[in-house]
Amino acid sequence: MSRSIKKGPYVDAKLAKKVDKQIASGKKEPIKTWARACTVTPDFVGLVFMVHDGRKHIKVQVTEDMVGHKLGEFAPTRVFRGHTNKKEAQKNR
Amino acid sequence: MARVVGVDIPPHKRLEIGLTYIFGVGRTTALELCKKLSLDPGMKIRDLSEVQLRDLAELLRKDYTVEGELRRSLAADITRLRDIACYRGLRHRRGLPVRGQRTRTNARTRKGPKRTVAGKKSVKGMK
Repeated sequence: MSRSIKKGPYVDAKLAKKVDKQIASGKKEPIKTWARACTVTPDFVGLVFMVHDGRKHIKVQVTEDMVGHKLGEFAPTRVFRGHTNKKEAQKNR
Repeated sequence: MARVVGVDIPPHKRLEIGLTYIFGVGRTTALELCKKLSLDPGMKIRDLSEVQLRDLAELLRKDYTVEGELRRSLAADITRLRDIACYRGLRHRRGLPVRGQRTRTNARTRKGPKRTVAGKKSVKGMK
């Protein structure tokens, strides 16, 4: 079920304010945010965000293609580095 | 043998079914096409006249995305997801299900044939 069009895309109010400020003042450092559910709007393009992944902040450079996606989609919350190799597991013992 | 939109050769089937041999045309689109050209969906493909075939091809070319063009646009969509490194793109890269399905069991369509891991307990053993 997608979001009602009437409401428009969800953009975190605080984050939008920060974005506006940064655009007005010219570019500076990345914006740290926890708003993973916030939709990327066209005025985010070119900015750098630090999106929280539950542990640390992941650097996300917003490009034109990312518009319409949520910020959280670019900061994976799970890290999977593969299953442990049985031989190696025994060596480490 | 009738050729519509390049390579497709739907045989001695009813129009409604034969048209679904075209990539990008399913039952719904097939019926829609018949309706637009006021053809009987139940008639056989071989009974179509030259003109009707031409009309069909023309309509598909003009108003629908089918075959190669459709395949290209699908591939482009996936490439886009991969390139922006979003969650769905990462799932495509790894060849895992993209829409949140479970992967503990099943998901064989995406993951391919089973690769048995030595020493892994069976599903029964896990309970």
